[in-house]
Amino acid sequence: MAITVQEMWNEGVGKLSLSIISGEQYLNNRLPEIAMNRPGLALTGFFKYFANQRLQIFGLAEFTYLKSLSDQEKRHRLEALFEQQIPGIVVTRNRKVPAEILNLAERFKVPVMRTPMVTMDFVNECTVLLKKLTAPRERIQGTAMEVMGIGVLLRGDPGIGKSETALSLIERGYSLISDDVTEIRRTSRGRIVCWANEVTRYHMEIRGLGIIHVPSLFGVSSIRRDTELDIVVDLKKSSGNEDRTGISPEQVTLMGVEIPCITLPVRSGRDMANIVEVAALNQKLKELGHDAAKELDDKVINRLTRGRVIGHG
Amino acid sequence: MADEEIVKNLKVQNQYGIHARPAALLVKAAGKYECDVFIEKDGNKVSCKSIMGLMTIEGYPGSTMRVTTLGVDASEAMAEIEELFVNKFYED
Repeated sequence: MAITVQEMWNEGVGKLSLSIISGEQYLNNRLPEIAMNRPGLALTGFFKYFANQRLQIFGLAEFTYLKSLSDQEKRHRLEALFEQQIPGIVVTRNRKVPAEILNLAERFKVPVMRTPMVTMDFVNECTVLLKKLTAPRERIQGTAMEVMGIGVLLRGDPGIGKSETALSLIERGYSLISDDVTEIRRTSRGRIVCWANEVTRYHMEIRGLGIIHVPSLFGVSSIRRDTELDIVVDLKKSSGNEDRTGISPEQVTLMGVEIPCITLPVRSGRDMANIVEVAALNQKLKELGHDAAKELDDKVINRLTRGRVIGHG
Repeated sequence: MADEEIVKNLKVQNQYGIHARPAALLVKAAGKYECDVFIEKDGNKVSCKSIMGLMTIEGYPGSTMRVTTLGVDASEAMAEIEELFVNKFYED
């Protein structure tokens, strides 16, 4: 997925303390390779291998090298670099941008940005930012909550009570991420991150009430911008065929990532929020390496076989 | 319609006895019927609709359980419970 320099700029203007020096109108240049390059080697005249499709970073090394050249040589080398059709330039350490670079950038329609960060920090931070920008994302049906540090996605047919369950969880002091429509992306670490659509963020629709604004009613602690997803909870009409032990939990695949999934039967009078809360707690316990269902089963088997079988499959 | 009572002695034939998985199968089977289903061993009697009950009944491999079904659909319930015992709870 290709992005434009503009998208990197929009995201990085605050986080990377970027400012634009020249060529703001060229920010819509495409960034074909989502990466950065230090053009030091190219400045020496070596172009046999030059990552010209990447964002070019001018740091201390580049400037020190340019300083060692005569004015004519400097112009010549820089011109050769710009002829490679680079998408954009970032100057680190708030260095003053030489007039030669500015002239050439104007001529070749290349935006020039600057940051006070040192090169290594900038490259690290910008890599994370670019990865985030280009991470695969999807929009799914479901209400996302954070319950004691555990990311929970509530799913189920319309009218089954997702929003009502979420509301009860909010009243218990947990945080809403998104109601009914959740944006997800896969991180490079193979986790799923949930957040809300910008427009409808922190609003909920409750049948009979209409639309409410959660932080206005419950305070800012009732909301959270995003969360990593730990467990999916499917609310279903009771079928009598539910898991009764939790020995072999189910999984769902979201964007190629397997997430534990439990199906909760909904019946009138059943406090769903309470059960979702316990499901989240139990998931937390499992992540700490303590699986209650499995441990009890092992204990029972050990007893039944009088210790003849230890750790069955 | 008069309640029917059926009593049968069934042997636990799987390798591990009545642990969580067989218990879950029994509870699901018994839960489908309206009648009461009990399992008894050594004077301990528990409902076959309770996971925790079944896991405390000590259904050792090779032990014999006294199963009682009591109610309108007692014979259907007994047939399904018996099938699970006979088929070693579909384990091994």
